[in-house]
Formats: sequence, C-alpha cells, structure tokens
Amino acid sequence: MPTKEHDAGERERCVTGIDAIDHILNGGIPRGNTVLVSGSVGTGKTSICIEFLIRGALEGENSLYLSVTEPTDKLLKNVIPFDFFDERLSKQGKLQFVDLPKIYEELGIDKEDMDFKEARLLASRIASIVEEQKIRRLVLDSVTSVCYRIKDQERIRDFLLRLGTVLSAKGCTSLLVSEIRSTEEGYSRWGVEEALADGVIVTGNLERRGDLLRTLQIVKMRGTSHSRAKYVLDLTTSGVLLVPLLKGGSVAGGG
Amino acid sequence: MAELSVPAEVSEKLSGLPVASAVALHLKADQYFDAIQGMIDRFATKKDLEVIYVTSTIPSQSILNAMEALEISVEHIWFVDCITQIMMSQAKRHPHSIVVESPTMLENIMLKVEFLLRKNPDRSALVVLDSINSLAIHNNTKILSEFLHILVNNLRARGAYTVIISMQEYETEEIRNMLVLVSDEAVELGD
Repeated sequence: MPTKEHDAGERERCVTGIDAIDHILNGGIPRGNTVLVSGSVGTGKTSICIEFLIRGALEGENSLYLSVTEPTDKLLKNVIPFDFFDERLSKQGKLQFVDLPKIYEELGIDKEDMDFKEARLLASRIASIVEEQKIRRLVLDSVTSVCYRIKDQERIRDFLLRLGTVLSAKGCTSLLVSEIRSTEEGYSRWGVEEALADGVIVTGNLERRGDLLRTLQIVKMRGTSHSRAKYVLDLTTSGVLLVPLLKGGSVAGGG
Repeated sequence: MAELSVPAEVSEKLSGLPVASAVALHLKADQYFDAIQGMIDRFATKKDLEVIYVTSTIPSQSILNAMEALEISVEHIWFVDCITQIMMSQAKRHPHSIVVESPTMLENIMLKVEFLLRKNPDRSALVVLDSINSLAIHNNTKILSEFLHILVNNLRARGAYTVIISMQEYETEEIRNMLVLVSDEAVELGD
C-alpha cells in the first residue's frame, strides 16, 4: 500500500523535513540521490544542510556531516541555534560530525595533489563509514575543497561516480556542498560535479533595487517532478523558510 | 440608539465575520489608534488570538508606547517592523519586534509572518497589515498586488484573520481596486 513517503510507482522519498523544499519536490528528495547544494558565500548552504541532517536524525535516520573547510567545533559555534535541535542526537550517535582532514590523516593522504588511488581510497573510506554507521543522510561540506585536492577532471569524475554509486546503493541520500563565486556560470567549480549529481539546488543573492535577497532554486532533481521557480529564503531558528520570489514587473527578467 | 465608539465598532464588525476572513479596514487618520485598540484589545482578546502586527507606517516602538498608554497587554502581540531599520534609528528593540530591513522587501515580510505563525502553531492568529498606503509609497502596484494575493491566500488557508488597514485620506483608485481583489469584506468606520 502506498505510504505517505512512497506512492506506488514512485521512488521512495527522503523527506528533508524542510517543509518548503519537500513541497517543491513533491514529497522530498528521491532516496539515495546525490544532490549538489551550490551557491556563493553567505547564501545559506551550510544551514540548509545542517537542518537536513538534524531533521533526519530526529526521525531516527543516522546522519553524518563531513566537514572539510572548517573544524566542526568552530562550525557548531556559528550555526543557527535551531529550536528543534536536541543535544541528545549527538550523544546517541544519530547526528555525527567528522572532520575530513582526520580521515585524510588516517588514510595517509598527505600530499596536496591526490592521485587516482588516493581518491578511490577516500571514496571507499566514506562508503565504509556510511555502511558501518548505517548512515542514511550525509553532507560533504564542501565537495569543492575535496576536488581542489584531486585537481584533475578525470580523477574528480572517477571519485564522484564511485562515491555517488556507493551511497545510492546504500540508500544514503547525500548533499554535496559546492562553493561557487557569485559571478560564476554553472553550479560547480569544475563542471563535473553538476553533471554527475542527481540533483542541483542553487542558493544565491539577488539584488533588487538595493535590497539583497537570499534565494533558492531547484534546477535539477532526478526521480521526481518539481518546481523550478526561484524562492526567497530566510534562515530562522525555526528552520529554513521559503516564499515565492515576487515578480511584479519590477525587475527586468523577474530577477 | 447610542453611537458606538470606534474601538467597539471595529471589534463588533470584525466579530461578525467568519474565521479566516480577509478584511480591508478603511480608516480616517484620527481613528487610527482607536481602531488599533478595537482590533487588538477587544477583538483579538475576545477571540484569544495571537496578533502579528506588520507595520510600515510608524515604528513598532511608537505603537508599543501607545499600547502601554492604553494599558493593552502585549503578551500575545508580535511586530514585523518594516520602518525602523530604514530610519537608521538607534531605538532599543522590543523582544516582540522583528525588523525587516525595508518595506520594499515584501518577501521578507511574508517570511517573518510565517516565522511568527510557526512560533505559535497552536493558537489562531490575527495578522494586521498597517498600512497598504505606506507600502504603496515604497512598492509599485503590480508587486504589491502579487504580495497581497499570496499573503492573504496563505493566511486564509491557515485559518488566520487578515486586516489590511487603508487610510482613507491616502487612498487611490488603484489601492481600492487592489483591496477589492484580495479581501472578503470592506469595513468603513462611521464618523
């Protein structure tokens, strides 16, 4: 019988718990999808990802945050104090934060430039953590930083393909944070990331008559129909909130 | 029959409306504070509503001061203040007041209203938009109509009352048409 999460003939959904995103995606991210969350600085990527993990952990799904760019203790000090956050989630192991540099160290990856073997070793290590810990939601913040160390497009493609395939096979829904410049075309630094991802969520800043609005747009999501409209975003203690971007004929091209 | 005071008239007219109604309240400038008293102290208190008061006319602190003078409790009143920030005022912020940077950031007004509704999910709400005339100073009619259309329909779906204040002295044909389009009732107060 179809369930709330899983209608007949449709893929099972990972209900993000962020109401507006679940609404846009007609029920959530198809389970096992690898989704690129792409945007320039200060557009809300990390907050969206952390809410995704907390909401999952609250529903009993083991959730893992892999931090590359900043130590997790520093990150946690600066994160929005969500009303729904429960400290017991970390103690129970439902919500885990791991610094990726520690994994590099453990694997003996000490060179600036990762070769094929090391990139594959890293993908395998992440996969084994996901399997051992029965992780259902994963965030890699950021995939851009990992790709910086892999450098070569072929190696990046190989790493992302392996990672995406293995996570999907384990039913783990993952968000890969992609850092782009506000002036950049496309949704990732190397172009490979967006091509391999099952979904692309883009956050941005929209300047309208001197006002700066945070925006979110889902441009791609395999396995579900969805709105491709642009929304305005607010990061609150109640979580990420979205409303439609008003067009009103006031901005050429509607922003 | 004795003529009703403005607060009593406002309260009586709002009380006669079905839940989730959207009302255009046409006021004269000298009825302003009496009308606020009628909406908040009488109508919302009687119906046990949480009030979300969006102000783009005067700073929330001025309304709070007036409420204090009228001995109105602010326990269940929350402000979305769209004017204090652009005044660059150093005024102390009340804990029940959330600032929107500018009355042109209409999406952010909707987001703050949504945030406050989520803060008190178990209580019914009255959302006051004060006023359509001041919002019209900062926004063109097209975007303002779109904003009202989305906001009012969203509030209606959530069972909240919406009151859109319009100052009669500053009403234009465009504003009147806009209000007719989005509201279920137009309430005009007697002299």
